[in-house]
Amino acid sequence: MGRWTLLLVLLFLLALPLPKFVGPNPKMISNALLFSMTQMFMLITLASNWNLIGGFTGYVDFGHAVFFGLGAYGTGVMMAKAGWPFAPALVIGALVAVIFALLIGSATLRLKGPYFSIAMLGTFVAMREIVRVAKPLTGGGSGLTLPPYLNRPLFYYITLVMAILVIWFIWWLRGTQFGASLIAIREDEVGAEMRGINTTLHKIVAFSLAAFSTGVVGGLWAYQNTFIDPDVVFFESRTVEMVMMTMLGGLGTVAGPVIGAALIYWLRDVVWANFLQFHLIVQGLLLIAIVLFLPEGLMGTLGDRSSTSLGRLWGRYMNASPQTPQEAQP
Amino acid sequence: MNTPHGQSPLLEGRQVSKNFGGLAALSNVDFAVYPGEVMGLIGPNGSGKTTLFDCLSRVQEVSAGQIFFKGSEITHKKPYQVAHMGLARTFQVIRVYRKLTVWENMLLSPQWGKITPSQLFKPTSEAIKARARELIGFLLLDHVMDLKAGNLSGGQRRLLEIGMALMPDPDLILLDEATSGVNPTLIEEIKDRIRTLNQQQHKTFLLIEHNIHFISDLCSRVFVLNYGEKLAEGTPAELMENEEVIEAYFGA
Repeated sequence: MGRWTLLLVLLFLLALPLPKFVGPNPKMISNALLFSMTQMFMLITLASNWNLIGGFTGYVDFGHAVFFGLGAYGTGVMMAKAGWPFAPALVIGALVAVIFALLIGSATLRLKGPYFSIAMLGTFVAMREIVRVAKPLTGGGSGLTLPPYLNRPLFYYITLVMAILVIWFIWWLRGTQFGASLIAIREDEVGAEMRGINTTLHKIVAFSLAAFSTGVVGGLWAYQNTFIDPDVVFFESRTVEMVMMTMLGGLGTVAGPVIGAALIYWLRDVVWANFLQFHLIVQGLLLIAIVLFLPEGLMGTLGDRSSTSLGRLWGRYMNASPQTPQEAQP
Repeated sequence: MNTPHGQSPLLEGRQVSKNFGGLAALSNVDFAVYPGEVMGLIGPNGSGKTTLFDCLSRVQEVSAGQIFFKGSEITHKKPYQVAHMGLARTFQVIRVYRKLTVWENMLLSPQWGKITPSQLFKPTSEAIKARARELIGFLLLDHVMDLKAGNLSGGQRRLLEIGMALMPDPDLILLDEATSGVNPTLIEEIKDRIRTLNQQQHKTFLLIEHNIHFISDLCSRVFVLNYGEKLAEGTPAELMENEEVIEAYFGA
């Protein structure tokens, strides 16, 4: 068992008995905290998924929340309109997200850099309007109400298991030839293709994998929220959050999105509680600060301190000479 | 076309043309590379050498003409497909994975044709690691193995890119200006490695080169491009005497 697997299993065991302590007396853990944890596990899953395409493959997806929305609506429509139970409806939700990823990915993943990002942003906005217009199926702007089901511990467990599975999956993928090829594509796509990597296929597979679990989170979120409408589900900030969490933690690292998601979730709670009116400004400032001072994220900065100004400062402060690019003699 | 080796060509271009808008970068270029030879491709800047490489390695579409590799047509194949067939290349603007170490760079260039889908989802095999270790030694990169490729000197990066091209054990290697920005001692090393690979492992090379000594030392035949057209073809000694070539290339 690797270091990582061990850590994950430990975290899982630690988090496992939490719902047992919920109760009014002694009030060790409130229902609200359990709900917060559930939200955080979802964000960790979302950020890890975004990292697969944005961090490992290097395709910065500004519309990734479209898969969240499709998962939510796929699940919601099957439950509210067709009267299906939750589990099979969730499968449909995830399938809708994957099929859409295959279709849109085979078109947009041919674009490079900012063109891809903007095409995905456009896809996201267009999908929101399509859902709004498709009133007979989706309920349009007035939304859909799902059969209510209040069971906080269950959602807690489902999201916990999902987060652990996704982190483990990405850690495992990172060690395979496939995962390494994604990094090659990020570093130099033409070079990767010339060295025998079928870049189009790799990108589409990675994109669909990311869309799949994003769709699952969307479906879970819809059921937990019991109500969905186009604006609450296709919410731009959701993508921005995924980007921000991944960047804060470290693009293309396994632990980065986990740490980033946990930190930002906690920070957002503090900001919301204290400056409700300014929370978007704070969010924006944070994103700017990350890009300026921590372009490699927390994990990247810890790994290679010479890569960021903050890291170099830290290195100087710690009296350890930061690594400088070594110009080895030929 | 004459067949100096009495065999069928390994790589052959027939009437290859490439236009960028109104500009004809290549017009009706006919040429062939035979198994086991080291062939040179020279020409002034902007004569279409790299464009020809891009068309041959399928990084760019041709506007007209056909390309054959090992007897089968590859005119519309993808770069990864010709890579699986045994064609490798390096780039004029070096394309190594700068943020990864030399070792990781090498591991990312395995013999894809032999990787089955199930192996794709397994860690890198010992065979690939052994091959990477052998090539790193062969190209004198042992001492920089754990450095990031972006921190290497230009010459070392050239060597690394050659190593990455060799990883899949290709039959034909296209080298685009392997000596530019490389110091004289290292040029001798590169020359020596190419010669070893050609003579001991029977690898075929096509080189784009501005260094005329490099060309005349290594190549049995040289092919000259000028304004996207084939100007001449022959042994290095013959071309040194050719008035047209001297005028176009040496500017005399």
